[in-house]
Amino acid sequence: MAAPHSPTSLPKVVVHLRATGDAPILKQSKFKIAGTDKFAKVIDFLRRQLHRETLFVYVNSAFSPNPDELIIDLYTNFGFDGKLVVNYACSMAWG
Amino acid sequence: MNQKESVRNIIPWDGALSSSDFFCAASAFSEKWKRFNPSAPPWLWVPSPKHHLLSSHKEEGYLSLEDMCFIKSSEDQESCRSQTWKEESSISQEEEAVDTATLVQSCFDEVNHYDFHIVYSPSYRVPVLYFRSYHSDGQTLPFDEIEKDLPDYCAKIRLESKWTFITHEEHPYLNRPWYKLHPCGTSEWMKLLFHGDTSLNKNGFVIEHYLVSWFSVIGQVFDLKIPLAMLETVSC
Repeated sequence: MAAPHSPTSLPKVVVHLRATGDAPILKQSKFKIAGTDKFAKVIDFLRRQLHRETLFVYVNSAFSPNPDELIIDLYTNFGFDGKLVVNYACSMAWG
Repeated sequence: MNQKESVRNIIPWDGALSSSDFFCAASAFSEKWKRFNPSAPPWLWVPSPKHHLLSSHKEEGYLSLEDMCFIKSSEDQESCRSQTWKEESSISQEEEAVDTATLVQSCFDEVNHYDFHIVYSPSYRVPVLYFRSYHSDGQTLPFDEIEKDLPDYCAKIRLESKWTFITHEEHPYLNRPWYKLHPCGTSEWMKLLFHGDTSLNKNGFVIEHYLVSWFSVIGQVFDLKIPLAMLETVSC
């Protein structure tokens, strides 16, 4: 029953990256990522794409996932419509 | 309470909460923490002393989690999070074998003890995290030693981000200097967290889950994880 653990058989999760506030919108905002990857990979990807070290990254269920969380766990619990929506905002300047 | 709720539905929420809302949020948070995170020390409500200037009614006080132990090692592998893509795939298998909850390391240099207090700020109208750290012999840790306990990416975030900087000032109840995570950006990112789903802002949902959401962000500064099951109750 268990599938062999080769890279091709790992479940992939569709991640939809949503800009919020005044964050720049990515040209390509939907990606497939291995479920066994950690959320840190999404954060790092966003940082590289937006050339920013500090981003506020969160999911629609009103929390910011720990970078160590597995994508598949986040998708299982908080995904809907076949994807995991990840929102991002840029670090705003505070008074 | 009903009138307040209906007003809240009409007026866009500003990300902040009242002192009595904080008490409700604190009760909900500590109860969920106990239920979903039983292996961690509990969050306990500490009522403010009757003679204290800030205490006007019995719901004044703060949440306290004391004696969270951070095990230091000279390698400090567990707190090293600045990994590249290439490194991630090769070490992921090793990481799976390590259970951080029952970490047994051969080099048990020191155990650093942390006390965390979640205190309501009347001026910012948001919760604020106060913390202090000390060695097993009671000696206070200076900040540069505290920094070594924190994940690498957190040091970067603290230096570059304007919403997670740390100050050293007097604890509002204890008259002793503690460190605190400055609250000036809190209402803005709390607003963002709940903004995605306007249906969340009904029937006191926001208040009940405020501290859970808040802690999902703040806890990352210290790599304090919230179990996903605890967060699951946040989604509708």
